[in-house]
Amino acid sequence: MTDGHPILEIDHVSRSYAENGKEFRVLEDISFQVHDRDFTCIVGPSGCGKSTLLREIVGLDRPTSGRILFDGEPVRAEDTRVSMVFQSFALFPWLTVTQNVQLGLEAHKVPEEERQSKAKKYIEAVGLAGFENAYPRELSGGMKQRVGIARALVMDPLLLCMDEPFSALDALTAQNLRDEILALWTNPDLPPSAVLMVTHSIDEAVYLADRVVALSARPGRIVKVEQIDLPRPRNRKEPEFYGWVDEIYSLIV
Amino acid sequence: MAVGRKELRALAVALIALAVVAAVLVPSAAFTAGYLALIAFFSTVRMTLAFLLSLVFAIAYGTAAATNKRAGEFLIPILDILQSVPILAFFPPALLFFVYSFNGNVIGVEFAVIFLIFTSMSWNMAFGVYEALTTLPADLREAATVFGVRDWLRFRRLFFPATIPKLVYNSMLSWTVGWFYLVASEAITTGAFTRERPGLGSFIYDAGQRGDLASIVVGIGVLAIVVLLLDTFLWRPLSVWSERFRMEQTAGGPVSRMPWGYERLRWLPRFPRIRRWIAARLAPLAHGWNRAATPLDRFYVSHPRVIRSVRWLDLSMFLVILASVVVTGVVGIAAIFLSPLPSLASEIPVAVLASLGRLVLAYLVALGWTVPVAAWVAHNERASRLITPVLEVVASIPATALFPLIIAFSVLAVGAFGLEAELAAFLVSLFAMQWYLLFNLIAGMRSLPGDMREAAKVFGLRGWTYWKRVLLPAMTPSLLTGSITAWGAGWNALIVAEYISYAGHVYQVGAGIGYLIAYATYTPGDHGRLLLLSVLALVLVVLAMNKLLWRPIIRRASDRFRIEIQ
Ligand SMILES: Nc1ncnc2c1ncn2[C@@H]1O[C@H](COP(=O)(O)OP(=O)(O)OP(=O)(O)O)[C@@H](O)[C@H]1O
Ligand SMILES: [Mg+2]
Repeated sequence: MTDGHPILEIDHVSRSYAENGKEFRVLEDISFQVHDRDFTCIVGPSGCGKSTLLREIVGLDRPTSGRILFDGEPVRAEDTRVSMVFQSFALFPWLTVTQNVQLGLEAHKVPEEERQSKAKKYIEAVGLAGFENAYPRELSGGMKQRVGIARALVMDPLLLCMDEPFSALDALTAQNLRDEILALWTNPDLPPSAVLMVTHSIDEAVYLADRVVALSARPGRIVKVEQIDLPRPRNRKEPEFYGWVDEIYSLIV
Repeated sequence: MAVGRKELRALAVALIALAVVAAVLVPSAAFTAGYLALIAFFSTVRMTLAFLLSLVFAIAYGTAAATNKRAGEFLIPILDILQSVPILAFFPPALLFFVYSFNGNVIGVEFAVIFLIFTSMSWNMAFGVYEALTTLPADLREAATVFGVRDWLRFRRLFFPATIPKLVYNSMLSWTVGWFYLVASEAITTGAFTRERPGLGSFIYDAGQRGDLASIVVGIGVLAIVVLLLDTFLWRPLSVWSERFRMEQTAGGPVSRMPWGYERLRWLPRFPRIRRWIAARLAPLAHGWNRAATPLDRFYVSHPRVIRSVRWLDLSMFLVILASVVVTGVVGIAAIFLSPLPSLASEIPVAVLASLGRLVLAYLVALGWTVPVAAWVAHNERASRLITPVLEVVASIPATALFPLIIAFSVLAVGAFGLEAELAAFLVSLFAMQWYLLFNLIAGMRSLPGDMREAAKVFGLRGWTYWKRVLLPAMTPSLLTGSITAWGAGWNALIVAEYISYAGHVYQVGAGIGYLIAYATYTPGDHGRLLLLSVLALVLVVLAMNKLLWRPIIRRASDRFRIEIQ
């Protein structure tokens, strides 16, 4: 499915932290591209720097060396073309669903009416119609993450970045949300155009992704970038599916 | 307290009828009652103004310290110092700035009183804001950044709401402390002269000077009523409301404790209708704020330069204040050491030790009775329902208002040995410390999860084993929180405990740092350097105790018990 042009370019990125005067390497010489209309997954063992990499891509952190270019330019965190979904949801507990979803629009000075109609549209798109005025504490985990997704989509991003968005959810809810994310991504009328997702579950990566970027244990290096060309919807019971899972598993461990 | 609405209404009607009859029969009493209501109103207005000032100060200071790392590095130590400065040390600057510069004008004295109350209210609130913002989950901050929520909008949508629970909790604490020092604040006495403003504090002060016990009891009663009314109609609804702004606890995290301020309000009747009425009146205000905030947002966007210059002004103002404080301090200290020391200064080391001993004793006694009572109240629903309201009312009366009773008791008990001042100082310290321990301990033991209690029962843990394995570990965090607050209150209370002037007689202890400070403030003569020196000594001792005792203990305890210290 990789027919889009590259929109994100990660170019020899390394990241290290100073700890007790010593250099502590987290990421080492990471290079890959994310293409438009692609679903890309980054997998790797815990602590290998996946979250660090994603935070650098959305502009929350700067690499020690190397460049990250979005559409040929460095990304700033508040750039609306790149949006983010958090593992812990990161909803503001004192704001209603609508207010949470509108947060970015408010920050970017979108007029009130447009804000309202856009928020309504995306709250419906993630299946939360009727909960507009609920507070996060009144929602289940799956519903909270739906708010998180609506909050990111309402910015009309080209690239949606997600850091283990389903790992805090139970298995059934997580599977439902995976299918819904796929549906949103394939819908040409709705953003996002491309998805970049971090996960530690190889099964999840093979189920969702066109391309899987496999990282080694710390310091994270790219072991391999795999092109998964299974047709969708994918079936976990097919031998091709677990063939892929086994192969990526053997790469990482 | 299952009091029905009907009974309450009947009681109110009966009280009003009684009051009317009394007013007709004894007009002078009616006049007194009216006067009392008026001065209670004055005091409340002063407290409110000081509180609003504290609120603005706390939000600005705490936010600056938490969001600007460089600023925080020196703002927080300064706050540490300010918190340990006793209120009497603010008398001279208050007089200098407000009374003298207004030529002794009434307005100047009012400013001075409000400023003094402010100094007893604001520091812990600023700490609350700082702590709320430094413990703000990183992902919320990052979400704000990713969605472009900055500056004003970030303050409005993220920082300010996040501080609300701690701000409300600390506001309740501040009001308690404010009432405690009201007597000292409304009657500013230094050396030969006194400046007073009409209020409940000065009413009690005057009655004390005359030795008029009946008036004192009446004053205390009115004070207790005001405190209880404010608790019922303001703080209780506010603390319930502030729960909405609490971060959600993730599963497996530490158990969240209700602040004791909330616990202590639980028994009060709810008055749903009056509260609804108030809420309905307040709703337009809230809408108004939102409506006002929108143009403010717009202004912010369209006039970045104005905002920037306001910020510069803020910064330069702060620097000027800081510079003047530093210069005054350096000049003062130089003056102290360049000329021979005042004769009383040699007493300072002994005084500090004597005060420390007094507080240790008061602390141990407080611990001795609060731990068993807290355990009993937390384990016995009936006891809790009966005892808690009584404790609430008693605790709501500031110890400073109880001086006459304390003095009378002390004279009666040990007057024959000439120890009445020592006993009175001990009792006032005890009263200043014990409630923080008690209410924190009750809240801590209540938060013990029910299944843990049941597990203890199933495994037959009883007696000392139960205390050692279940109760004591469970209450350690709240014991620490309570102890730190209690010791802070104790050090500050020394200035009113070790030097009590009542009915024309001064009850002073043999040695004590609080006595030295009060002596330097109240007795005529030039005691400026003695005041400065003894305040310096007190501040150093308090800071040393925080750094060398409490911080290491907290660090150890938080490793073992995963706790959050308020
Ligand atoms: N600000 C920081 N300062 C120092 N070390 C950091 C910082 N942020 C991350 N690290 C370290 O970098 C390493 C990688 O962290 P990161 O969160 O990116 O891993 P991860 O692959 O996302 O792990 P997980 O699967 O557990 O989420 C960790 O060892 C972490 O301790
Ligand atoms: Mg991670």
